[in-house]
Amino acid sequence: MSTPQLVLCVILIGSLIIQALRPQYRLLIVTVAAGITCLVSTLFSTASTPQLLSEVPWDVLVILIGLGLLSELLVTSRLFGLLSLWSTQASRAHPGRIVLYFSVGMYVVSGLVNNITALLLVLPVLLILIKLLGVGQRYVSWLLGVLLVACNLGGAATPIGDFPAILLLGRGHMSFSRYLHYAAPTTLIALLILLCTVMMWIRPTRGLSADGLSAQLSVAVMRKLYRNVQLDWKLAIPSLCLLGAMLIAWIVVPQQSGITPDLICWIGVGLALLWRAHLGEQLLRTRVDFEAVLFLLGLFVMVGAVRKTGLFSLLALKLSSLPLPPRGQLLLFLLVSGITTGLFSAGPSMAALLEVAEVLAKQFPPHAVYVGLALSVCAGSSFLLTAATSGPLLQTMTERAGLRDEDGQSLRFGFFEFLPVGLLSFAIIEAVAIGFALIASAQSP
Amino acid sequence: MSQLPKGLDLAFSVAMGELGFCSTAWLFVREVALYGGEDLVRSLRDELGRTYAVIDAVAADWLAGHRAPVISIDPFISASQGLRKLLVVGIEADFLDAIVPLLPHTEIGLLRHSLIELDWDRVTANYQQRVSLVDMASIAEWAGNRSGLLTFLYGHNAHVAHVRAAWLRLIGQDIQTQFRSIIGWNVLRTPLFMYPRWFVETSVQDFSELL
Repeated sequence: MSTPQLVLCVILIGSLIIQALRPQYRLLIVTVAAGITCLVSTLFSTASTPQLLSEVPWDVLVILIGLGLLSELLVTSRLFGLLSLWSTQASRAHPGRIVLYFSVGMYVVSGLVNNITALLLVLPVLLILIKLLGVGQRYVSWLLGVLLVACNLGGAATPIGDFPAILLLGRGHMSFSRYLHYAAPTTLIALLILLCTVMMWIRPTRGLSADGLSAQLSVAVMRKLYRNVQLDWKLAIPSLCLLGAMLIAWIVVPQQSGITPDLICWIGVGLALLWRAHLGEQLLRTRVDFEAVLFLLGLFVMVGAVRKTGLFSLLALKLSSLPLPPRGQLLLFLLVSGITTGLFSAGPSMAALLEVAEVLAKQFPPHAVYVGLALSVCAGSSFLLTAATSGPLLQTMTERAGLRDEDGQSLRFGFFEFLPVGLLSFAIIEAVAIGFALIASAQSP
Repeated sequence: MSQLPKGLDLAFSVAMGELGFCSTAWLFVREVALYGGEDLVRSLRDELGRTYAVIDAVAADWLAGHRAPVISIDPFISASQGLRKLLVVGIEADFLDAIVPLLPHTEIGLLRHSLIELDWDRVTANYQQRVSLVDMASIAEWAGNRSGLLTFLYGHNAHVAHVRAAWLRLIGQDIQTQFRSIIGWNVLRTPLFMYPRWFVETSVQDFSELL
């Protein structure tokens, strides 16, 4: 390993470890580390700062910002709150059905919009339900845990659901329809296995007293809280229509035409914001997720600098020279991807691992590698509470809600409460990822 | 042994933030009666009445044969005649739902102050942009000779009334002179029998109109 490779790799891994240990400073750590990377890279003559910045996948950032703004439009239309009310009424506030309805609902929503936004809107309603129902620690841990994993799976189901898939779409590794074709059914299978395992084997409702009055009161209170809340149709319909038009364009328009996914997103979201110009301007000024953009920008710069040193090609070469059959190498890669994501979170892992995946994709059908990687990253995101951005958010919101059980004991949702859910989810999703890769890699490239 | 589930007090505290003590108490009493009849309403009164004196009062009303709160619109309409602005202190969903549609030409504000955390956006979303939120710092913008203040009273006698603590944060001699009408609207049929936890006493002399 050359000196630039070693130094830049240490900066990358060091900053990832520190940001994982000190998540409250993660943006500052990654931003400063990216600056140091540019300096070191320039001093070693590996790449200049303009070169590194020119290789940042801006298209991915455009899609992220655009979809985030579209989510905000749907939030303003009160769509999510009313969907939560509908879920409560449809489940008749039965604890078991609440797990199913909200998990499936979050899976679907997370596939279409930013899952953190969706979680931010749905969780307060769910926390009210938890308080109204008077449930216990075990139920709360599994309910919130499964919800988080359903969000991750939904995000991996479509090319626009979460950052890893957006990266695949933006870099042109897979077309929109091809990714959707393989990832959507696979993630759905993983969700079904998870829900069946949880509901039939874990049974989070075990020990809860089946109380008709609590359920009846919960539904009545929720109805009353939303008694006159109406969907802003004039905002929701155009936003949903434009989202639908964007989905069609992503599927139908070939990338070779020059009309790339980011351009489709840019135009579509621009039109949606223009529809309500005053609100659109306000959202643009105040609701762009600069935290995510800066974090990913820093990561892209650091990963780009390491790539310039040729380290990723070297790792791919090492992987291919392991005394394993090619499919064994692929499975090892997927397993390592899952664990790495669990430790470093999805963004950094995907950005770095994609470089190695590109080499593997020459030996196997690309979808076996890329969709397998996206699923493994999803498994890793679901492993530990700290692995996905939405995890700490869920923890904070739950702590702020001051949940108590029926005996007045405080209910928590932290690292250790999530761990059993995380272990089970990781095992299921990683197994599905490996199963998918095995089947897909058997096809000719 | 009571058939009431444990943790009902927590459920009540969640709902009363956004719906108000009286509206939530009526909702709970109605649902409990629907589920278990008058015996269960008695149990509710016994178990939660001490913590939430309004539940005690409303349950007593129910057991006396009443099935809804008294929402006397006419005295309120008369008291709010000519007001261009009305600032409401404290939430009582049943009462606000009744009066907001009747004041199409009055700007209605709701003081953003609560003892517990609540979703203010959801509260106002129920009034289709007819009610806006007002912070303590911008109360002066609501003052004027065609402005009124409204709060809900939880029983009163000739001297004192029980109100939410937010009222005392707001009302002072300086504020009293800045509004044409200061309306206190009693939401209970009878004064509170139990110790009025969650409420504070204020002088009935503070109000220009007592409904």
